[in-house]
Amino acid sequence: MTHHVMGVDGSYPLLLVLWLLPLAGAILAWAFGPQLKTAAGWICSALVGISFICAVAMWGPGTQSVSGALGAHQALFSWLPGFDFGLLMDPLSLLWTLIITGVGFLIHLYSIGYMDGDRAFARFFAYMNFFVFAMLTLVLSDNFVGLLVGWGLVGLASYFLIGFWFFKPSAVAAARKAFVINVAGDVGIMFAIFMIVASVHSTAFGDAFAFAGSYNSGWLLAICVCLFIGAAAKSAQIPLHTWLPDAMEGPTPVSALIHAATMVTAGVYLVARCAPLWSQNHDAQMLVGTIGALTAIAGAILGCAQWDIKRILAYSTMSQIGYMIMGVGVGAYEGGVAHFFTHAFFKAQLFLGSGLIIHALNNEQDVRRMGGLMKKMPFAFIAMLTGVIAISGIPFLGAGFFSKDLVIQGALEHGHPYLYAVGIITAGITAYYMCRLLFVTFFGSYRGDVDPSELGIRHPELAGTPAHGADQAEAEHEGSGHGQAHHAPAWIMNVPVAILIVPTVLIGWLMFGGDNSPWAHFFAQQFPHPQLSPAPIGEGVTGLITFGAVLVGIAVAWWRYATASAQSRAVERLRGESIRMPGILTHAYYFDLALDLLFVRTSQLFGTIFGRFFDPQIIDGAVRESAFSAQWLGTLVRSFQTGLLRAYALLLVVGVAAFMIYYAVIAGGVHP
Amino acid sequence: MIELLLILVPVVIGAAMQFGRDDENEKWSRWTGALVAAVMFFLALASRGTEWSFRWLSRPFTSAFHFGPTAISYWIVLLLAVCTFSAILAVNQPRRRRFIGQLLMLEGTMMGLFLARDLLAFALFWDAMLLPVFFTLLGWGGHSGTAWRYFLYNFAGGLTLLLATAAFGMLYGSTDVIGRTDVHLVGAWVPWIFIGFSFAFLVKTPVWPLHTWMPITYSDTPSPMVAVVSAVQSKAGLYGFIAIAMATMPDYVKTYAPWLIVLGIVSLLYGAFIALTQNDAKRIVAYSSLSHLGLIVVAIASFNPIALQGAVLYIIAHGLFSAAIFLTLGYVESREETRSLVRLGGLGASNPRLAGALCIAALAALGLPGLAGFVGEIVILTGVFQAGLVWPAILALIPIVLASAYMLRLFQGIMNGPEVPDLPVRADLNWIEGLALAPLVIALVVLGVNPHALTTFNPSAYNATTVSQGASK
Repeated sequence: MTHHVMGVDGSYPLLLVLWLLPLAGAILAWAFGPQLKTAAGWICSALVGISFICAVAMWGPGTQSVSGALGAHQALFSWLPGFDFGLLMDPLSLLWTLIITGVGFLIHLYSIGYMDGDRAFARFFAYMNFFVFAMLTLVLSDNFVGLLVGWGLVGLASYFLIGFWFFKPSAVAAARKAFVINVAGDVGIMFAIFMIVASVHSTAFGDAFAFAGSYNSGWLLAICVCLFIGAAAKSAQIPLHTWLPDAMEGPTPVSALIHAATMVTAGVYLVARCAPLWSQNHDAQMLVGTIGALTAIAGAILGCAQWDIKRILAYSTMSQIGYMIMGVGVGAYEGGVAHFFTHAFFKAQLFLGSGLIIHALNNEQDVRRMGGLMKKMPFAFIAMLTGVIAISGIPFLGAGFFSKDLVIQGALEHGHPYLYAVGIITAGITAYYMCRLLFVTFFGSYRGDVDPSELGIRHPELAGTPAHGADQAEAEHEGSGHGQAHHAPAWIMNVPVAILIVPTVLIGWLMFGGDNSPWAHFFAQQFPHPQLSPAPIGEGVTGLITFGAVLVGIAVAWWRYATASAQSRAVERLRGESIRMPGILTHAYYFDLALDLLFVRTSQLFGTIFGRFFDPQIIDGAVRESAFSAQWLGTLVRSFQTGLLRAYALLLVVGVAAFMIYYAVIAGGVHP
Repeated sequence: MIELLLILVPVVIGAAMQFGRDDENEKWSRWTGALVAAVMFFLALASRGTEWSFRWLSRPFTSAFHFGPTAISYWIVLLLAVCTFSAILAVNQPRRRRFIGQLLMLEGTMMGLFLARDLLAFALFWDAMLLPVFFTLLGWGGHSGTAWRYFLYNFAGGLTLLLATAAFGMLYGSTDVIGRTDVHLVGAWVPWIFIGFSFAFLVKTPVWPLHTWMPITYSDTPSPMVAVVSAVQSKAGLYGFIAIAMATMPDYVKTYAPWLIVLGIVSLLYGAFIALTQNDAKRIVAYSSLSHLGLIVVAIASFNPIALQGAVLYIIAHGLFSAAIFLTLGYVESREETRSLVRLGGLGASNPRLAGALCIAALAALGLPGLAGFVGEIVILTGVFQAGLVWPAILALIPIVLASAYMLRLFQGIMNGPEVPDLPVRADLNWIEGLALAPLVIALVVLGVNPHALTTFNPSAYNATTVSQGASK
């Protein structure tokens, strides 16, 4: 069978180098961690930095287009007869590679400061580098199995890093939950692979896409749905999102890199990568677009109800990925991918900024116990402010505006007015909860010395606030945690944040200019461009409507948290809001409970019935019954029993020998 | 001749190690045993393509002591050599010399089984390989009931195997048939012969509902021994299905294939659900074995070439990871004197190397992409789906999710969480214990990245063919 390879075949040593360097770093830091000590952080960061430079150098080959083949393809080895593994770098994977290594490098640097003094400093960097390697495997692989390998390995890296402080039961449980839900997603991709292999006898993207038009629609829909189960689990889409808020148990740089900027956007990558499949099936587009929109608004609403700074950001991540999924789902691939691109910067910025606060406040994560930090931490304020402007989508001042507009407008252009409306409403809610975060944290006066109960914090351990658990964790770390004495220099954490401010504010201009923007040119040959009838509402008007919704959101947040009267009565108001928060919101629509009852409890019930009753009573009972009838034989044997091992041995050996002699001499005769 | 050495050297040396006073030469027994096992590995490596035959029966049917690896058993023999080497290094039982002797005898008898090209030799070694495990259970296990249950259950299988073999010989005129592609048995008696073989194979694997000897055997047998038993001995039945049943009576296997698929799927799900709720670490792995081996039964019954290649891959992969996981659990048990997840916890903080070892073994077992177990699973299920078995393929995906849950529960329950105050604090993994695990872990990674070598055999020799399926397009 002829193979349809994507990309220009050739030898690209830089591609191999940028892929394998982080793996080398991971092995090095893992094997020689105790010897390397803090050097591990610098080495691992440098390796990711070199990877980034290689990725930039791959720009030319990655964007080349020779007679229909786009990008660079490096064949590596045959995995099984007929199934080859290679690397593919085209504009789509180049973009992801740049973000993984570029933003990854900055977060590595930041981690040197953030993780300073942790007992397992080197192990942390081994996991981080391993994650980068796994994520690169995911986006650079030229076939579905390679993608699935990367898919599983990023899940493993995520597991290790969520459960990094493995003496904390909450972190251990969160890590396991994330892993198991993601395996459920992996299984979806596996099933899609079965269907693809059954149709085209290959797992290569090129082969699968070349025949996209020849699948019948039900079969294609099934493939897309199975792929999307994987995407939904990895990208925290409803109903497989419940692991993401819990994943905030990991150290903050992990949340920034894995659970905001890169890994959780793998689902967006998958749908964008499989654009040739999705474009052929309107039902699949409708489904994915709808789930994306639902996730966007559901996550945003939950973001309004959280008090833990990292959980607010986690729900906002879920919501923003909803946008991306909606974009790539409806067919606005440039838009969905653009939102991934800008989100990677501003969400990393927000997480690293919140990390500065958490770090300075000795692991306090509850915004109710913050307040008035603007004067104390002006740099963190600026960092968070630029991030909030970008995510809220304030026109021209932050990157999020441009990409979010592409997604919202794209939904309308591709004929989904309802998704368009959801996108606009969600933009307003986003502005509200992000400004709420900003105002409660930085405005007013400091509330860290106020009795928690007066702020409405009754059961910190139940309210999903891991702050106190983290305190214990630090205490258990034999005082080697973030004690004031061994803080690394502040610049190591501030510099990455300062660098990230630039793209957070400016990078969106790449998408300015419609079809003539650099962005549109970059992806001109990557995605299918069907002929669309012009949208009833122009791009400029959409921008204005969205801005109106954003202004309403900001105004409500201002009125509730930032006016002089609100600030003077902040303690009572926060207390009142905490107490009056509806249960459906504090329990995140009871998804956890439902999944627990439906799957976890049910499986355990099966296990208990089978293991405690069925196995010993029914099956083994039947075996014992049949053995009982043969027991008279046993008593006969027992009369020979001498109680000595050697006697048994002798008996058996004699038995076997007698058997052999019988056949050899009497029945057969020896014929050498 | 190499085959004779592979069989006789371990048996003779192992038997010699049973003599003498209990406490004599304990120190040197480990290195003697490891040396023998290592030599056996290189001999096994060199045995590719060799054969050795000595005819010993011509009436009522021809039979020979005919040994030599087939394209599939070559890999199982290598697996056996590696696992025995690892197990011997990991022995820390009392009366070490005798224990290692039992391990060597187990290796030799199983070499005989997997190298056998004659059904009668196969059947004789089938029973012979029960003995070392039986004596180990009596000498080092919990109580003798387990030993007898193991022995009688499997011996019953051995009896039906022997009867079926005799009938096979009477019908075909020769039992020298393993590895031949031209044997095609037909006749009214063949279903009975097939059932006789199948019973033995299903008990040995084991497959639901013939599995109840297995959890107690696996939890009572000392870890180095159970590592070899679960890794290699449990493959005897699966190998028998491929090399004997599929090769010589494919029509009858196909007739009974739906039953085998049902049993395989039930084992898969049943084992996985039970593994989820057990508290004894070794029983979790025992039930997970029931689940994993059920998948191979489904693969065999699908008669699809891709699934069959996957089955061989998974036979090896399961051997590697179950040996690794049992050895590591043995390390845990010898340190903490318990296997209960209720008692254990937080060992990772003071035993990072032990935690790393258990982590890798558990990840391989739960089918982490990039390790050998995943390759076996995905190749098998791709083939099963291609054979048109859509529902078995869907159902077989559920245990993959469950496996991630119970394997992480096992790992986290032992290694993570706060340290348990009243557990004894012992030294971390030493270099010998690490050396025992190294070959297993390296092989898991190598086969996970490049499984090519294992799939070079010709599936059509076992009558596996791609059937057109209604599901595609």
